[in-house]
Amino acid sequence: MWLQVRLSEVCLFLQAMFTLACCFSDMESGPIATSGSVQPNGDRFKIEGRAIVPGVKTQDWISSARVTVEGEEYIGFLRTDGSFVVNDVPSGSYVVEVISPGYKFEAVRVDITSKGKMRARLVNFIKTSEVIRQPYPLQLRSSGPHTYFMKRETWGWTDFLMNPMVMMMVLPLLIIVLLPKVVNTNDPEMRKEMEQSMNMLNPNPELPDVSEFMTKLFSGSKSSSSKAVGGSKYQNITCTQGPPRSFFIRLYNSFLSRGFPSSEIQVCK
Amino acid sequence: IEPSAIMYKSTSLFVIFLSLFVVSEAVFEDQVGKFDWRQQYVGKTLFAHFDSHSQTSKKLFLATDKNIFASFNSRTGDLFWRHVDKAGPEGAIDILLLHGQDALMVVGDGRLLRSWDTNMGGLNWEAVLDTGSFQAACFVAIQDTVKHLAVLKNAAISLHYLTNGHQKWVENLPDRDTVQYQAVYSGGEEEIYVLGVVPNSHLTIIAYSLEDGEIIKQRSVEAPWLSSVESSCVVVGQGMLMCVDPGTLALYTLPIQAEETPQFSQTLLQSLDLEVSPGFQPVLVSSQPHPARSPISEFFLQLGPHHHVLLQLNGDGYTIAPLRDFQPAFLVSFATTGEKTVAAVMTPKNETACAINLFSADSGRRLLDTTVIFPLDLNGGKPHKLYVHAFLKKDDSVGYRVLVQTQDHALTFIQQPGTHTDTGTYTQTLEQLFGHNDHRYVWRKKGEACKPKNTIPTVKHGGGSIMLWGCFLFGIDSKSGSILWKHYLENVQPNAVFKLIVQRTTAHFPHPPQCTLLIKDKDTGLASLHVFNPIFGRKSHIALPVLPRPILQSLLLPVIDQDYAKVLLLVDDQYKVTAFPSTKNVLQQLQEMASSIFFYLVRSDQGNLSGFRLRKDLSTERIWEVVLPTDVQKIVAVNGKRPNEHVHSQGRVMGDRSVLYKYLNPNLLAVVTESTDTHPERAFVGMFLVDGVTGRIIHEAVQRKARGPVHFVHSENWVVVSSSCCSCSSCSSCSCCSSSNSSCCSCCSRSNSSCCSRSNSSCCSRSNSSCCSRSNSSCCSRSNSMGLPSGAILSLPKMFLDPRRPEVVTEHSREENLIPYAPEMPIRTEWFINYNQTVLRVKGIYTAPSGLESTCLVVAYGLDIYQTRVYPSKQFDVLKDDYDYVLISSVLFALFFATMISKRLAQVKLLNRAWR
Repeated sequence: MWLQVRLSEVCLFLQAMFTLACCFSDMESGPIATSGSVQPNGDRFKIEGRAIVPGVKTQDWISSARVTVEGEEYIGFLRTDGSFVVNDVPSGSYVVEVISPGYKFEAVRVDITSKGKMRARLVNFIKTSEVIRQPYPLQLRSSGPHTYFMKRETWGWTDFLMNPMVMMMVLPLLIIVLLPKVVNTNDPEMRKEMEQSMNMLNPNPELPDVSEFMTKLFSGSKSSSSKAVGGSKYQNITCTQGPPRSFFIRLYNSFLSRGFPSSEIQVCK
Repeated sequence: IEPSAIMYKSTSLFVIFLSLFVVSEAVFEDQVGKFDWRQQYVGKTLFAHFDSHSQTSKKLFLATDKNIFASFNSRTGDLFWRHVDKAGPEGAIDILLLHGQDALMVVGDGRLLRSWDTNMGGLNWEAVLDTGSFQAACFVAIQDTVKHLAVLKNAAISLHYLTNGHQKWVENLPDRDTVQYQAVYSGGEEEIYVLGVVPNSHLTIIAYSLEDGEIIKQRSVEAPWLSSVESSCVVVGQGMLMCVDPGTLALYTLPIQAEETPQFSQTLLQSLDLEVSPGFQPVLVSSQPHPARSPISEFFLQLGPHHHVLLQLNGDGYTIAPLRDFQPAFLVSFATTGEKTVAAVMTPKNETACAINLFSADSGRRLLDTTVIFPLDLNGGKPHKLYVHAFLKKDDSVGYRVLVQTQDHALTFIQQPGTHTDTGTYTQTLEQLFGHNDHRYVWRKKGEACKPKNTIPTVKHGGGSIMLWGCFLFGIDSKSGSILWKHYLENVQPNAVFKLIVQRTTAHFPHPPQCTLLIKDKDTGLASLHVFNPIFGRKSHIALPVLPRPILQSLLLPVIDQDYAKVLLLVDDQYKVTAFPSTKNVLQQLQEMASSIFFYLVRSDQGNLSGFRLRKDLSTERIWEVVLPTDVQKIVAVNGKRPNEHVHSQGRVMGDRSVLYKYLNPNLLAVVTESTDTHPERAFVGMFLVDGVTGRIIHEAVQRKARGPVHFVHSENWVVVSSSCCSCSSCSSCSCCSSSNSSCCSCCSRSNSSCCSRSNSSCCSRSNSSCCSRSNSSCCSRSNSMGLPSGAILSLPKMFLDPRRPEVVTEHSREENLIPYAPEMPIRTEWFINYNQTVLRVKGIYTAPSGLESTCLVVAYGLDIYQTRVYPSKQFDVLKDDYDYVLISSVLFALFFATMISKRLAQVKLLNRAWR
């Protein structure tokens, strides 16, 4: 879902870049001589074109589609082959769109001069004089079905695991479980240091600490550290100037100390 | 390219990004049809044809007065497809003819000729016809194959190929200044006959050659009694013109194809023992089963409203013999299958039912086992037209299907059961068909919807009934769209205007809820009241006030009488006020409150807006007047606030920690004007905010280069006006919000910054109507619903119309949740609350708060009716639809057991430790 949003952003951005590029490249303006068909009844013209929905048979969508010129000012209907003609249109500038409840079509602006010359260009409501030429007779290709619906959030393992909250919960857990295995617990000095840091992290000794419980549970009953109980340990904190600590311990410390007042950590140094 | 354009682009891009994260109101796919329903209508049927292409076809083709060509499933009444053309005379369907799989249609008073593929619902071809008003059209056949269509206009006749619509030839008609050409006839020969008449003088018959349009012969026949060929003549038998004259009470026959100059031969009705009802214009009905052959020689003559006679023209072409007299008979119609032609006759059976029988056309004998019963709905109007489709059954007898059009424009399809006439299944099938077709009503006139609040408290979301009307008043279930009750309103003029007022809701048991319909004749201004119970549709027996004078204004006061009905004030043209109900209690309350009751009157023809105050004796005094010169601009619409509007927050905290108070004047009127000058450069739309009590103009704004139609929404402290821009041909909406900061009243408006908006595939094509969502206590954010011409109903969050949107994003504006201003507004299809269920020609949208704070009910009406719910701030007060009860309970149980187990484990562990 997240990915999709991102993708659509990127698409939109690319599209915007493309239109900008078009703006820069196509600067010509003024009607270009294309022969519009003049009809016998005065200065009325017809707008011709063809709408295509790739991969869909015309009979499946044309019965619900229609062509509107300038809102509902002039209306045309689609022929069985997808082509259309809007008759009886006087000269002027019009927005032509194919309206189908199923499929998306881009609107096109069609300019008809008083002599019946036609040209088609992209619709731009801000800069109405901008000309980005489109083929005439109109070739409207559907860009796919409309997206009317939001997607329901579905429950999937990847979504669940990629959730930042879950990651924040799972990673420390992994570290807690795995670190005692990785670090050589037989080294007495290391064990001492660990003990100290653990005790330091337990500000209220009366409260059973989950991590402590878990480490104890998983590191096996052979650990003798259980002899020291709660509150008295707090006074035992001394700054050791022993051998340099291993990288793992540092990582472990910094990870666990996140969110605690820095003054307490200062004690360890 | 200018840098500003790039900036615009980038800002609009930013808006698109932002809108991806904004609380959107889209529908989930599994919610389709759960909270919404749509009813599609087509209008009053003008032409109806059965698909006779194949025996088993279920298709039915209709052309209606709403310029719609539609295909129905005749068995279920479902719409296969429908094509909605431009409203008004330009899209009006003049004629619909069916030939095989192709349906031919002349549109817009002879403007266009269209051929449809009825199978696919697509167009075969469209041809532009020459100018001239349409008169008649008929198929032309050569040697039993129909290849051409002749179209007669008042000045010319043209022949078109059916395969591609190309013109074979076109000929100007002679003497078209004096002769009114009204009919065209082809009997399968090489000639086409055009009949014209000089009223009360003579009849002109011109024969054209089919090949090149050359005039073969031209004759005129004396007919001083004839005024119109169209209304009084038909072609019968071997090209005999049969006319009826109500003056001399005689039938006239004339051979069209005769070489010499013939005369009409007269047959007096009296000689046939027939008598015309006094004051009735007799009507002839004939039938031409196939364009390649001449019409049948039998015909119907209608002598009175309920009196028809089947007559036969004998082989000599002059003597007429009556075959059968049908009295009483409501409707008659011919139908042909193969070589057999039958006549269907509808006769009254009893008070509540009609019987339809088949008669053999050539003998007038009744065919056995052909009776079907058509139940009459007393509220639905009488049968109006009969369309019959006959077919041959396996045993060579004639079976038929009937489509009955009643006066309320409803269509009922009745199918005759199979050869074995089992009475049980017979009635059952009928009931099913009726049940289905009964709902296919068509709204005649301006409809308006009203939703009484919480009408049925047992239904969640405050479901209830909606009333819509044409000449009929309907009660509709807002949950399913089914019609609960209906009433025929008598003596309603076709141009009447309506106003629906809810005087009492269901909250005051045992008093029934009460709705009042104010019907005003537009020409005379005289009004009448219709009081009813909106739940059951029963008419109330309350004494109604006498309204002898034209009514100018109506006003619903919050004052209630001892029966908890709100008081309605009606102001007549002498500025006298009538109260309804007008009990003593009410009058006393009115006297006490009189000095604080104000009302306004608008005279758009004089550009005059005036305010009045009520006096104690129920007369009024004028206290202010605003004149907007009519030579510059005209008042298009005036809108006050809804009387029951709640505003939740009085102010808004700004980025700099100051509070911006909203200007919440409950008496504020928004007046929208349009310029009389329609030149695109000089046209404008103006808007004034007028205090309804003092008449002070609080704010005015002008949108240049804009024109109507204007739609606007006035709520809280903002107005959103949507008009169409002249030059860019898109819709621009300007919103104005007035707010007062501490003591000094400042109006912050950005009327010049038009928010040109872009729609699904182009601009926010003009909105047809707009309305904003409402909730009980206005805690939710608002959204504006707009009906677009494409058939979509757009629900635009108000955030995108906020006039305080900054051009450059600052820390403060970000803190206030303001999105940056963008000149172009993206329209996302996710905002379409009706997804792919298009609702065409939306006339209005009505919103009502529901029992739930988050939910607002929306009804869009026009050609179709659509009802749905919107949640502008998502559903915060209900569980989600996809709330997974199984998952949540299983997790709960799992946690419970996990605690139990871990507790046990911990106990064991502690015990072990203690032992150590």
